[in-house]
Amino acid sequence: MTEPVGKLIEELKNLGGKVEEVRGREIYLVASRDSLRSLAKALYSAGAYLKTCAGVDERPIQGVLSVYYIFGLDELGVDVILRVPVTEEDARVPTIVPEVPAADWCELEARDMIGVEITGRPVRRLVLPEDWPEGVYPLRKDFDYSTRPLRGFRSELPEEVGVPLGPYHPALHEPEYFELYVDGEKVVDVVYRGFHVHRGIEKLAESPRFTYKQVPFLAERICGICGFVHSSCYVMAVEKAAGIEVPERAEFIRSIVLEVERLHSHLLWLGVAAHLLGYDAGFMHAWRIREHTMVLAEYLTGSRKTYGINIIGGVRKDLNVDKLDKTLKTLATVREEFVKLAEVMLSVPQIRSRASGTGVLSRFEARALSVVGPVARASGLYRDVRKDYPYFAYREVSFKVPLYTEGDNLARLLVRVEEVLESIEIIKQLIDKLPGGPIAVESWDIPPYRRAVAAIEAPRGEDVHFIITGVGKPYRWRVRAPTYQNIPALRAMLRGAPLADAPLTIASIDPCFSCTDRVVVYDLKTGSRRTLRISGGVPPCPL
Amino acid sequence: MSLVKILEIALKTGRVTRRYPAEEPLVTPEFRGSIEVDPSKCWGCGACVKVCPPNALTLTPSGKSLVLEYFVGRCIFCGMCAEVCPAKAITVTKKFELASANLRDLRSRVVHEVLRCSVCGTPIAAEAEVRAVVKASPVSEEYAVLCPRCRKERFAKSIGLRVGAPGGGPS
Amino acid sequence: MVDLARALRAIKRSIWVYHLNSGSCNACDIEVLDALTPYFDVERFGVKLVGSPRHADVILFTGPVTRESLPKVVRALRAMPRPRLLLVLGSCGVGGGIWWDTYATTGGFSKLEEILREQGVEVDRVVYVPGCPVRPEAIIYGILVLLGLAEQKVREVEVHAPGG
Repeated sequence: MTEPVGKLIEELKNLGGKVEEVRGREIYLVASRDSLRSLAKALYSAGAYLKTCAGVDERPIQGVLSVYYIFGLDELGVDVILRVPVTEEDARVPTIVPEVPAADWCELEARDMIGVEITGRPVRRLVLPEDWPEGVYPLRKDFDYSTRPLRGFRSELPEEVGVPLGPYHPALHEPEYFELYVDGEKVVDVVYRGFHVHRGIEKLAESPRFTYKQVPFLAERICGICGFVHSSCYVMAVEKAAGIEVPERAEFIRSIVLEVERLHSHLLWLGVAAHLLGYDAGFMHAWRIREHTMVLAEYLTGSRKTYGINIIGGVRKDLNVDKLDKTLKTLATVREEFVKLAEVMLSVPQIRSRASGTGVLSRFEARALSVVGPVARASGLYRDVRKDYPYFAYREVSFKVPLYTEGDNLARLLVRVEEVLESIEIIKQLIDKLPGGPIAVESWDIPPYRRAVAAIEAPRGEDVHFIITGVGKPYRWRVRAPTYQNIPALRAMLRGAPLADAPLTIASIDPCFSCTDRVVVYDLKTGSRRTLRISGGVPPCPL
Repeated sequence: MSLVKILEIALKTGRVTRRYPAEEPLVTPEFRGSIEVDPSKCWGCGACVKVCPPNALTLTPSGKSLVLEYFVGRCIFCGMCAEVCPAKAITVTKKFELASANLRDLRSRVVHEVLRCSVCGTPIAAEAEVRAVVKASPVSEEYAVLCPRCRKERFAKSIGLRVGAPGGGPS
Repeated sequence: MVDLARALRAIKRSIWVYHLNSGSCNACDIEVLDALTPYFDVERFGVKLVGSPRHADVILFTGPVTRESLPKVVRALRAMPRPRLLLVLGSCGVGGGIWWDTYATTGGFSKLEEILREQGVEVDRVVYVPGCPVRPEAIIYGILVLLGLAEQKVREVEVHAPGG
């Protein structure tokens, strides 16, 4: 343990935290709920970002319900995981939102899913469906994963007064529901009602019909754009927890495929952004160039999307010389065409003028909400998991992390454009340095009740998986996708801004709602839907 | 200015459209399409069923038979079934033209005869699986056609015969 | 009375589609969008994406019908004028997907059909397109089958394993 880390741990111990376990770069503390707020404050002041928090039903193991708060100290490359146990009879924890505004959503989710009350803040149902019965907490161990309580069928949506954007808006092809409250042409407030894509994934991984081996395929389908990130993060977490050493060649292959995924994702986004700005020619050209990456992905892995090559302990498919050759050729084509397209797009006057100065997220707001990915890097936060917590083969390559400070839509666009070029360079280096050897371990053994945190830089930002191993399958698997962390920042970006900028601003965080609506079972109290009032019932924006 | 540039790019690129179905689709040699189960090789052992994440493969008893059903409607095209099949009976094809106007046509079945215990009649496993086991291992067919209970009884009796214990030997 | 054959003939060269996502992971949805882009150019068939189910000839349906999206999906389908032609895409749509039996999903389109009937929403023709995700070419093939312009290739098959 380095000196600054040691000092921080001493400070946390004085505030009531007890060290439970130290595993590599993960430090596990346990504390009572009375010490929670001061511990959170100390961590935040030390520069920690909240990765996420997760509710876990640990009654079968140790008779308590626990809430895990996972903090990351980027500059030290260390994770501090704080566990707060409570009894079933007295299941409450205080909110830490005043100290750590980024905890807003994950607290509500823990409340929904395992039924821990959060005191000191207005609460509402976040993740579970509207008509989910009260007192039923899906992530509790005594809830069977396939129970479907009787539907309370609502055939009418409530009256709208704001300008609703969704649930099926042609600009965004995923179900989500934004309510923008306007005063004239200015947006006064934003409420996001999402989680239409909640499928019960986290609970499914714990179910009798799943095993460790099958979860990578489940993880890959959390999101159809960054699926490989999720499956890689899951296997990484399990490998960390069980101490499985993955062969070097497999790590390189994983990194190459991850970067190929980043290319397809950013090109996809560029096309969508162009379309939203009225530049359909840009959309068509961007997706034409993207097609090269899709065909390449199929040639490398066997499928255009949902690659299915990750297994615990390595990968299922090797990259032979032909595949590597094809990769380099495709990258050369993509690079040449992309540079031309980017030049043209950035010289189109309406793109510059509409993207510049709009949807601003200040550095202060970005830090308080622990935003991730291009959104963070466009607002002056130098955060990239590949550099802060290097994983797989990223230690072996050198690359630039683009950083902008304006925090507007144009900055976010430029960050992604630069990342495409950096990704191409990274893949070239990885291919150059690709070592020989096996692509998977011969066999593995996963002891139960081991914990690990894994993070990967998805195209949208930091994706975090937290795992507690069980017998033959995970005991608890928490997925916190990047968009989950970024959507709350939309409020800051949209408030006080013209309504016309809203679609571009929303698209500029590259929202991936299906990652955000991943499985976590929540137990929601049926609150009424507060859709019309501008204040009251909605938690005060911490900023 | 940018209009001219984009026209330049468009003209240089030309037409990229693959006029499917008149022209070949963009399928690479690695593509994983639907699977096919070879009924002459399949053991009816259920390894594929265990590994299939969406439960697109099911093994269900039906009257005197054991039916392996593949519902391509729920298949996720991962190819794990082909990997774990001990009989190498599953091939991953490149077929993706699977559209159907009804769900029935998305199902295909291999029907196995079930071997019943020659003493008590309890179903043991698919005939094909037992045959494959007998072929591959030093199990005599006499034992292979017994259910686990009867097998134990026969084994215990044969030990009894040898040591002359009471209850052993012809009664 | 809905004359399905006449309707299918009428829209053969100009198919307005509405894309309805009932909670999918988006892979199928991106491939739907991909079908519009230069390599596949589904507009050759006169296919155009519209912004409302009220303008749609065909609805492209993805997703396992999550519990939360269920009422909204029913509402969108009810808004579609007859004849209701549906192209159900992907493992989620056709069979409920890898999560077909969890507490938060309904189990794909076949389960949705029962609910639609209860709610008085009739569907006139459905074509199911398996895939995970569906390739753009598979979507094109699915549209051709829906309109009767191509023969369906898959058939129910039952074979007996040869005896010993």
